[in-house]
Amino acid sequence: MKRIMIDPSKCDGCKNCALACMDSHRMDGGDGVVTLNFTLPETEARNEILNDGKGGYLPMFCRHCSVPGCANSCMSGALKKDMETGHVMYDEKRCGACFMCVMNCPYGIPKPSADGTKILKCDFCNERPEGPACVAACPKQAIWVEEV
Amino acid sequence: MAEIYVIVGTGAAGMAAAERIRLYKKDATVIMMSIDEHSHSRCMLHKFLGGERTEEELSFVEPDFFEKNEIHWGKAQKALGLDIQNKRIQMENGYQPYDKLLIATGSVFGIPPINHFRTASNVYGFRDLSDAQKIDAAVKAKNAKHVFIVGSGLVGLDVATGLMERGVKVTIAEMAPRVMPLQTDDIAAKAYQERFEAHGARFLLGIGASDSIINDQNEITAVVLSTGETVACDFVICAAGVRPNIAWLEGSGLETERGIKVDGHMRTSAPDVYAAGDVTALAGVWPNAMDMGRVAASNMCGVDTEYTDRYCMKNTSNFFGLQMLTIGDINAQVEGADIYVKESRNCYKKAIVKDGVLKSVLIQGDISHTGHWQYLIKNEINLSEILKRKEIFDITYGDFFETDDIGEYQYKN
Repeated sequence: MKRIMIDPSKCDGCKNCALACMDSHRMDGGDGVVTLNFTLPETEARNEILNDGKGGYLPMFCRHCSVPGCANSCMSGALKKDMETGHVMYDEKRCGACFMCVMNCPYGIPKPSADGTKILKCDFCNERPEGPACVAACPKQAIWVEEV
Repeated sequence: MAEIYVIVGTGAAGMAAAERIRLYKKDATVIMMSIDEHSHSRCMLHKFLGGERTEEELSFVEPDFFEKNEIHWGKAQKALGLDIQNKRIQMENGYQPYDKLLIATGSVFGIPPINHFRTASNVYGFRDLSDAQKIDAAVKAKNAKHVFIVGSGLVGLDVATGLMERGVKVTIAEMAPRVMPLQTDDIAAKAYQERFEAHGARFLLGIGASDSIINDQNEITAVVLSTGETVACDFVICAAGVRPNIAWLEGSGLETERGIKVDGHMRTSAPDVYAAGDVTALAGVWPNAMDMGRVAASNMCGVDTEYTDRYCMKNTSNFFGLQMLTIGDINAQVEGADIYVKESRNCYKKAIVKDGVLKSVLIQGDISHTGHWQYLIKNEINLSEILKRKEIFDITYGDFFETDDIGEYQYKN
């Protein structure tokens, strides 16, 4: 499967990855960060950069784990590991918004949406051929896609 | 001849097991039996009752799950007994032989010993789709306006929201002094109570039902409280606990305690018979049921697997837009423990720490990025060093960040 690999030592905390994620998942049909409305509650990144407390940064990106705690706790069937791509996909229509996945991911990746009706998590930009938007936007190659 | 794998029960444990068996055994005959006609997620029954979802939309697997995995499904089939000697299970329509059997029959709701509750015709539980269907029919038939619910745990509150969605007034009696007593403390409980009351619910806290009044059709028309007050109702719902569904195994010789006795491989006392989920009484939460199902299935297929991730005092809730996560006993009286509390306008957090080890945590409000709490509690990670430099609620997975050689996260020692 393809995974977004992480080298935290290269991360500058610029959050271009977060902007790219927001832009890639925007619902208004627009394209390009320049036209993105940052104030909309639904404009939310599915990745995050944490401060490591020592002047460095920790990129938090869904691992699409081999044993996915999120999907293994899903009571609606909304979260499923795709056996072909290996990615943990989320079907918003099935989701019951119980948030057991939020509790069961040991890394705290899936999170409730701002309106509390669904969750937000990485969908690998729906397997688009050019790869995930976050990776393309990283100026430091702190994240990259690798076949694992 | 192909080996016959039989699974009784199509809940979380049964379905997770079926998928796993098919993964390992392409040619085996897999047969599932269920009392229900729809495989459904019981965690979403309130969405059916509230009219938000149809029966089909309660399914937690793809519509073609049984066809795709070539699983024979005997619907509406009640298991009546187990014949260990002859390796067969007695169903309503005859005997089903097995080479390997998984019992995943879940649990059944209990009815408290209150006068008429166990004999009246209008007392319901809220566990299976059939329960939700009965309640739905009762609301329609009676044009019900008022329902009495016993118990304010997650199930009691779920059924309350479903009924309130339809404009039915609910009175909820809770023996404990607060709502959702296993998951809340007084402050968190009050936040939920206020939201329910704002939508018309009435709570009777620390008050039990002591008697009831029936009409000539054997229907309860009012519940009498321990205070002497009488509360009129169209029907009663019992949401005050469940017990493993093992009555049908009586006389089979299968060893049981509170539930079916299993070892770490989910093996029962009988050869080639396994059990998983609520029926084992090991855990009553969805993720553990699925885990047990997968562990049992792996062992049934000869792949040695142990059920190790047993921590089960965990839950999330989401009522009227207020989310909550609780891990561990948040009301525990732990001697010498430090209790941390943080309150803001939209969030309430509480943690109990003993000798640097987190015992329990409650987060109400924004529950984003809270997945690490379960890990820290169940693995008894010592937080003393981290607590010297930051506030407890500022701890994240980032404090333990590490990736392995295939890029998966793990916890740094």
